[in-house]
Amino acid sequence: MRTGNLPWLRPLAGLAVGAFFFVPLYLGIINTFKEPDQIRTRPLALPQPFTLRNITTLLSRPDNLYWASVTNSILVTGLSIIVLTILSATLGHYLARTSSLWGRLLMLLLLCGLMIPPQVILAPVTYVLRAVGLMSTLPGLVLFNVGYYVPFGVFVFTGFMRSVPVDLEEAAAIDGATRGQIFWRIVFPLLRPATASVLIFLGVWIWNDFIDPLIILGPSQGTTITTGIFRSVGVWRTDYGTIFSLMFMGTIPVLAFYLFLQKHFVKGLTGGATKG
Amino acid sequence: MVSDVAARPRKPPVGSRTRHRPKRRIWPRVWHFLSFGAPGVLIYVCFVLVPIVVSFGYSLTNYNPFNPPTKFVGLRNYQLMLQDDTFLTSLKITTILTAIVVIVPNVVGLGIAVLLDRNGWLYNALRSVFFTPMVLSSVVISVIWTRMLQDDGPINDVLRAIGVQDPPGWLSDPDIALYSLATVLCWQMLGFCVVIYLAGLSGVPKELLEAASIDGAGPIRRFWQVTWPMLAPALTVNTVVLLISAFKIFDHVQVITQGGPGTGSTATIAFLAIQTAFVDNHQGYASAEAIAMLVVIAVLTTISLGVLRRREVNL
Repeated sequence: MRTGNLPWLRPLAGLAVGAFFFVPLYLGIINTFKEPDQIRTRPLALPQPFTLRNITTLLSRPDNLYWASVTNSILVTGLSIIVLTILSATLGHYLARTSSLWGRLLMLLLLCGLMIPPQVILAPVTYVLRAVGLMSTLPGLVLFNVGYYVPFGVFVFTGFMRSVPVDLEEAAAIDGATRGQIFWRIVFPLLRPATASVLIFLGVWIWNDFIDPLIILGPSQGTTITTGIFRSVGVWRTDYGTIFSLMFMGTIPVLAFYLFLQKHFVKGLTGGATKG
Repeated sequence: MVSDVAARPRKPPVGSRTRHRPKRRIWPRVWHFLSFGAPGVLIYVCFVLVPIVVSFGYSLTNYNPFNPPTKFVGLRNYQLMLQDDTFLTSLKITTILTAIVVIVPNVVGLGIAVLLDRNGWLYNALRSVFFTPMVLSSVVISVIWTRMLQDDGPINDVLRAIGVQDPPGWLSDPDIALYSLATVLCWQMLGFCVVIYLAGLSGVPKELLEAASIDGAGPIRRFWQVTWPMLAPALTVNTVVLLISAFKIFDHVQVITQGGPGTGSTATIAFLAIQTAFVDNHQGYASAEAIAMLVVIAVLTTISLGVLRRREVNL
């Protein structure tokens, strides 16, 4: 498929479509560095003058809106993805190495969880959390995240586990290694690409989750970045300086995390679909 | 090492296996499950499976935490739902939105993937632009688009500048707001479709295209007869993911329109279920709405998976 006589047509069309698509992103970035009254009156114009005042104001707010939200987000996301990786890797290994009916049934039950909307389970989840005294707490949200996202982790790990030869594990077993040693010393290091995919996908999803922290953390117990942005929109509808700088500063950590593992991300996403 | 493994008798003789195996192996197996499987399964059961069952149980009651006593009402919530205009409207709205979001990013995403299916820094940079919304939170995307679409926002500024006297109220007109919402979701999901189609395109063998070319097929014919059939798995993934994400859209409604303007002109099922449960506190009825939503998603996913997978096999 060559463009024939018009070799400049493809890059030009690409640039035009890309520029059109980029407008909302441009709006989000540019207004972070603008005086608040200019955000209101000239949303698309370049910052005149360029200012960091929105960000410095946000960082030094007496109510600690940014630092409290970002700490909560980092704690919730970090703890959730660490626990999720450990639990879904071990559970995935168990399921990949069990051929019993019970194992297949368990797998089916887990796969059902992949398409359940949070609306169906959130109300009962609040009762479970209240019963164990974890409602409106960070550990409660982490526990819920683990339960809700474990099917995805298991899905990725079992798929990948099938390509790890069983012989390796049997050899280690003959040499006297325990099951724990075999998994953590031999199998887990081989699963690095799967681990990277799980960390990246779940990290981005959990960081960006909105309805779950909104309901589970509730109004009293601090905010994550997303619920913080939502509350700012509600409280200071016209305080664009705060809203845009909070969005910008709230995206930096997850963007850095994403770029750091981007290579694995795209590889994990298209794994099996590409030929090389 | 390998010979050790090979030498180990993996399968004992048939007779002894049937008699001894269950007794000898049951405890190691239980221990294997307890140490490897149980922790994840336990949390999944507590936070997903049990809540689904409880939710279904609630949907058969008139449960309201602030208005006891709770009574068993059988299927009455489901009967009420079928006569409830609010619910039926929201089902209609969600269906329209889902139809738009399944079709538009699929078509446009395919076009962009074909356009960007080249190597070089320009194409890499453009790909990154389209991927970016995948890392952004729906809340961030919603706030930015709210500013874009407001009556005094940049879109209407441009329209006024080119001479449109009375530009539409993208978010304030009840007839338009739903389509504005669909636009935002299409923009957000476009990048995902582009990634998946690009992956599919890179899997089309060059030899096949060359062979078709030698046989005299033009670019359009090559695309429809060689490339497109090979993109069937990518179409399946995109359609199913778009279907599920569109049908349970909540964040955008909550941030951009809060279900308005007017009465429920953008109140999708996911939004309605949360409102009924946590604002109106009619948790029995809300559970019925949520269960109905789950059933619709499950049915739509199963049907589309069945149809699209069959297409892949026909290849």
